[in-house]
Formats: sequence, structure tokens, C-alpha cells
Amino acid sequence: MAYGTVNADVIGTSVAGSNLGAGNASMLKNRIINGAMVIDQRNAGASVTQTTTTLYPVDRWAIAGSVTSKFTAQQNAGSVTPPIGFVNYLGITSSSAYTVGAAEYFQVRQTIEGFNVADLGWGTANAKTITLSFQVYSSLTGTFGGSIGNNAGNRSYPFSYSIPVANTWTTVSVTITGDTTGTWLTTNGGGLWVYWGLGVGSTYSGTAGSWAGADYRSATGAVSVVGTNGATFYITGVQLEVGSSATGYEYRQYGQEFALCQRYYQSNRIVWSGQTTGAGQAFYAYSPFKVTMRSAPTGTITNESLAAMNAGSLTNSAVDSIRYDVTASGSNVNNYAFATINVSAEL
Amino acid sequence: MYKLIKDKITQETNVVQRLSDNSFIPMDEANTDYQEYLKWVAEGNTPLPAEEQA
Repeated sequence: MAYGTVNADVIGTSVAGSNLGAGNASMLKNRIINGAMVIDQRNAGASVTQTTTTLYPVDRWAIAGSVTSKFTAQQNAGSVTPPIGFVNYLGITSSSAYTVGAAEYFQVRQTIEGFNVADLGWGTANAKTITLSFQVYSSLTGTFGGSIGNNAGNRSYPFSYSIPVANTWTTVSVTITGDTTGTWLTTNGGGLWVYWGLGVGSTYSGTAGSWAGADYRSATGAVSVVGTNGATFYITGVQLEVGSSATGYEYRQYGQEFALCQRYYQSNRIVWSGQTTGAGQAFYAYSPFKVTMRSAPTGTITNESLAAMNAGSLTNSAVDSIRYDVTASGSNVNNYAFATINVSAEL
Repeated sequence: MYKLIKDKITQETNVVQRLSDNSFIPMDEANTDYQEYLKWVAEGNTPLPAEEQA
């Protein structure tokens, strides 16, 4: 009796012996959100100048520094050709030749919500190994640095990586043995803080490749991007996954990635219209969110258009909605208030 | 600088307004802007008081 040939497709994972559905499946393996730098709700591709306050040049990606205006950040800054398979990148450009002080830092980071890394088991004997991979391009060459740290800022793992050729995309992969000590949040707080150093002083720099009980943001001796006027540092294709080797970048559908970003930032239109009988009369309208947010968000009002109404305010912020409060400035048969409500629950 | 805001209905102070960007911050300890506000208060700073609501 003849038998046919059986062809089977195999779904690979980066972890030997793992089972689909056990947390290591090839679906939703990337814990980084907007790793391809596609979503930019706040700036629509415009440049952002770094300050001492955290800013978001693209969704979920934070920039900050100890001294203001030492670099700019922008989706697709410099308009170079992205690496194969990507359309966007986050571009950093140094604004001066700044000598970084010992207690100063300049950085790009993404903080991963604790719920999304709860399965890593960090802070326990069963801590899993992870691999961070990304594509990077710089006008500088040498050894660059970054770090992964916890929310309390008392555990961190500095890492280093090489950019051997200037102005060429380089693929980087860093494997990190999970931390078996320390406190790692598994809630809606900051689970993993992932940093890329752009110029970090000795207070925030540590030995690459080992865990430390400190708030390190980069590796000792790393290249300072802000140290060279006009230097560039571009990054995309960022993936953080369980396992000891990097696998192909996980492309998600645009709508899926956008919804993931909206847990941390979203904009919604709101309108109140009606009649008032006198100045000072108060009215309220709830703005429901498209996606449940990480926490009760901070709100700002833009594009406000008012007819016989005073500028509004926002109260009763919750994970599912916020309340827009307006008062009449006089009686009118066609009072109205239109506005865009921007809400942020970033980490 | 920050200013406290009262809820117009309940008259409870439940929002902090950050005057630098006119944002409204809920008093939720999971909100990172509120965490920054608490640090600012811990450094000895005092917000502007809430206005009485009509």
C-alpha cells in the first residue's frame, strides 16, 4: 500500500519547547508598541525640540534630557531611506556639541506597561530571558549604550551595541537574562523601562552586560550623540520578545497598532449645544474614549469654538471617559461649545 | 505652577490644572502627571487655590 507525503507547516518561536498560547507564541510576541514608528498622533510628523519635560515625538516613544534644547526628534527626520520592510523611523538630531555632566542624561525610551510583561516573571526565580532587537542608523560610529530598568529605578541592566559604519542601517540584537531580584511591576504601572542613551553622564551609566541595583540609563563609555553638533541617531523596528534570540519583526495591522497606542493617548471631538437663560449657567458633556485607557488620563482642550460660552475645563477623568464643563457667558438661543479633547495616560 | 480645580457639581477638589500647558490632571496616583505634581508638592511648593464655583 502506498502512502502519500504529509506536509506540515511549523510555527516557530524563539523559545525551545514552548507551546502556542503559553505566552511565547509568534503572535503578539513584541512587547514594544509602535516599534516601527508608524503612529504619530500628537505631532503628525512635525519636529519636537527636547526639553527637561518628557515629550512624545511619535506615539509611545518618550524623549527627555537634563538640559533643554540639546536635540530634536521627528518621525523620518532627515528623510533617509528606512531599512527594508519599514516606512518610518524615529530620527534624533543633535542641536549642539554639548558636554554631558556627570549627573545628566539625554535619552529615548519606551516604558512597557506592567500588564504586558507580567508573564516574564522578573523578580522571581523563574525570570525569563528576553531579546531586544532594533535597526539603527547614525552619522557617528562606535559603541552606543542603553538600558532596561524597573519602575522604582533601583534595578537596571545597561547594554552596549556597535554601529560600525556611519549612515548605514545596522541590525542590533541584545539578549538579557531575566532579573531574579528586585520589584518589577505587573500592573498598569511601568513594567519595563527601555532606554537608548544619547549622552549619559557617569551617575546614570554602568557596566554593560550585568544587573545593578541602580538607575542606569546607558553603558559606561557609550558614544554621546548630543556631543556632536548635527549628529544623527535614527531607530526603527524595535522588538522586545521572550527568548534568547531575535526573531523577525512582528508587523501588526495599522488599526491594531493604532488602538494599542490609544490606550496611552487619544483625541476625541465633543460638542455641547443648547440654550441658556443667563451668564454662569453650567453645562456638562461626557467624552467617551475609543479605547479604555491605562489610567485616568490628563486632558487638554484644543480647537475650542464657543458661542456665548466661556472656555471649558475637564473633570471626572476616568479610564473610559472625561467630563467637559462649560458655562454660559450670556443668554443666547444658539449657544454651543465645540472642542477637541486630547487625553494622555502615558508612562 | 499648578492650580486646584473644584468639580462644579460636587464642589470637591478633584483636578489639578497644570498652568504651563493648561492641562487638567486627575488626582489618580497611577497618572504620571499627578505623580509629578505630588513630587512638586513634596519639594515644598503650594498650588494656587481653587476658585469658588457658581
